[in-house]
Amino acid sequence: MKAYRYLPLTLLVTLGFTAARLDAQDWVRTGTNLGNDKIRLAAADFKAGSADPQTPQLKATFDATLYSDLGAAGIFDLVSKSMSPQASPGAPGEINLPQWAAAPANASMVAFGSLAAANGRLSVNGYLDDARNTSSPQVLAKQYNEAASEEMARTIAHRFADEIISRLGGGINGVAETKIYFVSSRSGTKEIWVMDYDGQNQHPVTHLGTVSVSPRISPDNSRLAFASLGKDGWAIRMFSMDLNRLVSFPAGTAGGGNFSPAWSADGAKIAFSSSRSGDPEIWVADASGGNLRKLTSFRGPDIAPVWNPRTNAQIAWVSGRTGLPQIYTMDQDGANIQRLTDGGYAISPSWAPNGKFLTFSWNRKYGPGAPGGQDIYFMDIASLRWIQLTHSAGSNDYPSWAPDNRHIVFERTLGRHTEIWSMLADGTDQRQLTHSGNNFMPNWSWK
Amino acid sequence: MNTLLEGGEQLERELTPEPVFGPAAGSFVLHGLLAASIVSYAFFAGFFHHDTWGGSGGGAIQVNLVSDAVPLPAEQKPNDNVLATETPSPAPAPPAPKAQETVDTTAIPIPGKVEQKPKPVPVPVQKTPVHQPPPKPENRATYGEQAATAMPRAISPSASNGPTSINGGDFGSKFPWYVDGINRKMGTSWYKPEVDPRTPKGSRVFLIFTIHKDGSPSDVQLDRSSGSPTLDRSCQRGVQRVDTFGPLPAAYNQSTLKVSYYCEY
Repeated sequence: MKAYRYLPLTLLVTLGFTAARLDAQDWVRTGTNLGNDKIRLAAADFKAGSADPQTPQLKATFDATLYSDLGAAGIFDLVSKSMSPQASPGAPGEINLPQWAAAPANASMVAFGSLAAANGRLSVNGYLDDARNTSSPQVLAKQYNEAASEEMARTIAHRFADEIISRLGGGINGVAETKIYFVSSRSGTKEIWVMDYDGQNQHPVTHLGTVSVSPRISPDNSRLAFASLGKDGWAIRMFSMDLNRLVSFPAGTAGGGNFSPAWSADGAKIAFSSSRSGDPEIWVADASGGNLRKLTSFRGPDIAPVWNPRTNAQIAWVSGRTGLPQIYTMDQDGANIQRLTDGGYAISPSWAPNGKFLTFSWNRKYGPGAPGGQDIYFMDIASLRWIQLTHSAGSNDYPSWAPDNRHIVFERTLGRHTEIWSMLADGTDQRQLTHSGNNFMPNWSWK
Repeated sequence: MNTLLEGGEQLERELTPEPVFGPAAGSFVLHGLLAASIVSYAFFAGFFHHDTWGGSGGGAIQVNLVSDAVPLPAEQKPNDNVLATETPSPAPAPPAPKAQETVDTTAIPIPGKVEQKPKPVPVPVQKTPVHQPPPKPENRATYGEQAATAMPRAISPSASNGPTSINGGDFGSKFPWYVDGINRKMGTSWYKPEVDPRTPKGSRVFLIFTIHKDGSPSDVQLDRSSGSPTLDRSCQRGVQRVDTFGPLPAAYNQSTLKVSYYCEY
């Protein structure tokens, strides 16, 4: 009798094992210390597929954009164009892979394809081949068809670059199609501007004629929160990217200063600092502006909140409760407060999308005559170990993570000019993105 | 005195018979060699009729080395392993029987004497470091004691991934870039400082995990422990830290991929 009771269980287990056996799958054995170098990637010039007069111009834009996107990705060792074979193959049948795999190119991957403009349409075929695997080289094949314009040539190059980066970068999407929002005073007043991640295509978003700072784009790119000086003082405003106008955000307009909004990762809540109760404290409201509550209540200012984008359960912010501003973290209900920095003047935290790292601006020896300056730092939250990313180059502030965890954008003041710069998260490959007027407070979009 | 001596010498020279046989023999040998060389030259130069080979050209066939197409086995040093020789040595002699303790029957026991046992000499215990020999990758054929790399390479499906190889599928040869991606991703997500520094260098822990279609890993299991709990745990954490290895290649028709991965300290 007892044996019968266990019969179903036995059957189930047996069935489970059988099912596991039937589910055939491939095996791969691999390990560490097998070389972790950057992938040697060659980007061939695309082959012009039509005699349309637009084609050469669009092809030049496309080739340059693709090359710059792949170079900026930070995971490739890009083959210099002067070392690539002269031929520009347009299709998988035309490429001579051993030629690319041999010196001086030594490429392990080759991106190539063809581009043709005809009747106002631009069609691009892009391929990625593994140069060292001659039996089945194709890794990626993509086809694009868009209106023939400079803008679209660049967009297609961004998309193809992102496909390559995602495929070879372990599933992390590239940032070639992301945007950077920032504050610029080049029109006379401080307005919110937007540009592509590589500094191209800069244009204004707001035209309020007052002072607008701290742009923060929502995770779905639909709304932009920022702080703006109005008739009631500093208020959190909300700009709809879809409607192209301001929408209401009642929680952000009460008296006192309201600064530094921050979106939660699900886009449902906004944290910001408000001094409506005296000291600046961290407040949280729904994205619609209701359900307002206060998270901190200590003497000393609490400003610049940022959510943990991975778990959405923690907030890092800057508090002056012990004197000079320091970075702290707490749970989203205000409990479990931890101090991360051990001294100096630490401001402007930005939480990496993977939840593991924080980047912020820090002056470690703050005071008159102290050595060092305001630089960007990188901290592993679990171990509290940090790395200095910028060194003796102006005053650096407002770092913001890119969604791929590999790039950081920040503002740098050199002399009397403040511009937006980007770099890899290890501090290398620093590039200046803006060159006109003064530009501040960059914010990298979520996707 | 001087002239006398000179005169005697001259006389002696004239009286000595001239050596004939030496130079004559030398001359014969020289002429014989000359004749032989002429004959052999004529032979090799083809003045005599013999079978001609390899067409009109010369006496040899032109061949191309085929090592590009056919893998030539690597030069191997002679194997001194007795198990691999063709003439096996005879079975070892049976061990000699243990010497029995001899008792001197003629000795007269002394009453009252307590026989003292000789103190055992303390043998110095050699402290060997706790060393786990790195487990050999089991995916290599081992014949005798030969190194597996002496096998001809061309029959293995892919030689590009170093120690990476495949079992029961051709994933590694079709998508080596994906396997490289796994290595790269694990290289960044495994934190070596987490491992206890007393762990012997070269220790390896083998894990097994499954990668799903979307690239997410699951079922991280310890296949073979390294002997160091911290190394085992850090490697497992390394896999768990990875959100995705990237979607499996679209051309791969299975739903999951089984991966065996080792972390080497």
